[in-house]
Amino acid sequence: MGEGELEQLQLRIAVLERNLTEAKAHAEIVEREAALQVSRAVELNARLSAILSICAALLISRDVDTVVRLVVHEAAHLFPGTSAAHLFMIDSEQNALVLRAPGDQSIVLKQPGEGLAGKAFLSPRAMLMVGPQVEEALEDLSREQIASLSASMDHWPPYSALLAPLRVEGQRFGSLVLYGGVHAHLYHPRDLPFIQALADLAAVAIDELNQHTHAAALQRDLALTQTLHAEAEARLNTAQAQLLQSAKLAAVGELSASVAHEINNPLYAARNSLYLVEQDLAEDAPQRAFLSIAQQELGRIARIITRMRDFYRPAKAELAATNINSLLRETLELVQTHLRHSRINANADLSAEIPLIVAHADQLRQVFLNIILNACDAMPDGGDLRLKTRLLQARSESPTTIAIDICDTGMGIPAEHRPHLFEPFYTTKAHGTGLGLAISAHIVTQHGGRILVESERNQGTTFSILLPTANE
Amino acid sequence: MPARQIQISDDDPAAALITQRGLQSLLGNAYNVIVAPTPNAAWLACAHGNVDLLIVDPGAGSGSASALVRAMHAFRPTTPIFVLTAYDTPGLRAKMRDLGVKYYAAKPIDFKDLLPLVTTALRTTPLPEAFPLRLNAHCSR
Repeated sequence: MGEGELEQLQLRIAVLERNLTEAKAHAEIVEREAALQVSRAVELNARLSAILSICAALLISRDVDTVVRLVVHEAAHLFPGTSAAHLFMIDSEQNALVLRAPGDQSIVLKQPGEGLAGKAFLSPRAMLMVGPQVEEALEDLSREQIASLSASMDHWPPYSALLAPLRVEGQRFGSLVLYGGVHAHLYHPRDLPFIQALADLAAVAIDELNQHTHAAALQRDLALTQTLHAEAEARLNTAQAQLLQSAKLAAVGELSASVAHEINNPLYAARNSLYLVEQDLAEDAPQRAFLSIAQQELGRIARIITRMRDFYRPAKAELAATNINSLLRETLELVQTHLRHSRINANADLSAEIPLIVAHADQLRQVFLNIILNACDAMPDGGDLRLKTRLLQARSESPTTIAIDICDTGMGIPAEHRPHLFEPFYTTKAHGTGLGLAISAHIVTQHGGRILVESERNQGTTFSILLPTANE
Repeated sequence: MPARQIQISDDDPAAALITQRGLQSLLGNAYNVIVAPTPNAAWLACAHGNVDLLIVDPGAGSGSASALVRAMHAFRPTTPIFVLTAYDTPGLRAKMRDLGVKYYAAKPIDFKDLLPLVTTALRTTPLPEAFPLRLNAHCSR
């Protein structure tokens, strides 16, 4: 090999060695970049895994407190170097942002945009604040708020902060704030999608739980309302059944009383005829024995008749001091659901002057119920029902009378029906018994009172029940 | 001394006849017990002022008998009225009490129980010149 060839070879080697050095330097750069990318990929993977874990945990959380504690706890792990994580929520009663987690400190922010939490609440999306921005935001807070805030974190003051609003469908209801330590991790803009994702997850979970709680409350209210409705219906049905039963019994009683009254005259004539015959007989007349039998048997008939007649009257033991206003209120209460369903507005104007009267309360309640239900039937498209009590006295020395007016704004009673209203078995209803008003009138009569009716076609009807305050 | 007069007004003719015969028999000739054929006839007799007791049955739907009681209360308030009825109810009792009726009995009543009530009512009849004009008599059963 010549000297020239050797030099060329040495030159080539030098070039190769330079190329090799450059290649090594480049390889080191690529290697470092690859390591960085791997590191970022690992970090990203860790964050995604953490987000997925949070998703899974939120899915099985059953109350809002659990969710907020979980979010705050996981946020500290998701963003290494976090000194403290705070979740604030709107308290509608205080009209303020209130710290919900961690729960060992009490921080209430009443001014809009106050502090980092207030700014996060007003922000449309996640924000990163660093250095002076954080200090400026903290200057909004009072000394007590600063004290509470600093007590809740390891490093004070924070150097950086990640903020995100809690929002669902455009509605904001809280904020999430992460505080970075002084010498520790400095948050990076690439953290923003993660803090917003965490805030959105928390918001959806909290909103769902709130909706669930609200739905459960509505369900409970509905169940309660249905129960009350069923109870009211049952009470009304029972009352109506009792009314019908009483009306049937009363019809039988009225028939008995009517028969009893008609028999009284012939019985009186027969018994006393025998008595007069007996006066003319000799003491030892054999007919006296038969007259005695006839007298005894007629006496027996008289007792049977008395029992039949008394069947239709309230027994004295059932008469008691009765408050008419209370009876009316009880009756209105009984039909409250029926009135609501029939779209009828009830109004009671009950005079405080009405005294207690001796009466058969159950029977009078049946009278009021019957007339009120009739009024409801007269207003199939709804209307107004007005109850009024008055104390009437013609002159200062006259006895007083209680007037109970039950007025409806219904279709009115045709003139041709009015004379028959109180006749038994007279009805204009498809399923009516025709006994309600008949027995009502009878009950009122038994109390020494009467019922008056005023009615105008398509204007309404007023039933006025007049009851003497002093009755037998 | 002329016989005292008792007028009877009753829709039921048999009952009226028995009341008349019984009272006439039991009270004797000192009393003249008369059945008025109608409430109006009874009122005319009472209006003449020589009736000492009116016995009336304001039966079911007997508006004229009630009108008779009302007229007596207004124009002959001192003539005692005895309601002897087959249609006894608390309502009728209250109504009669409001009309000023003091004496009330329900049929079927035996003469031996009726007689003391009638004689009590007759004893309350004052002398004609002592008649006060009273429109609101108290009622007792």
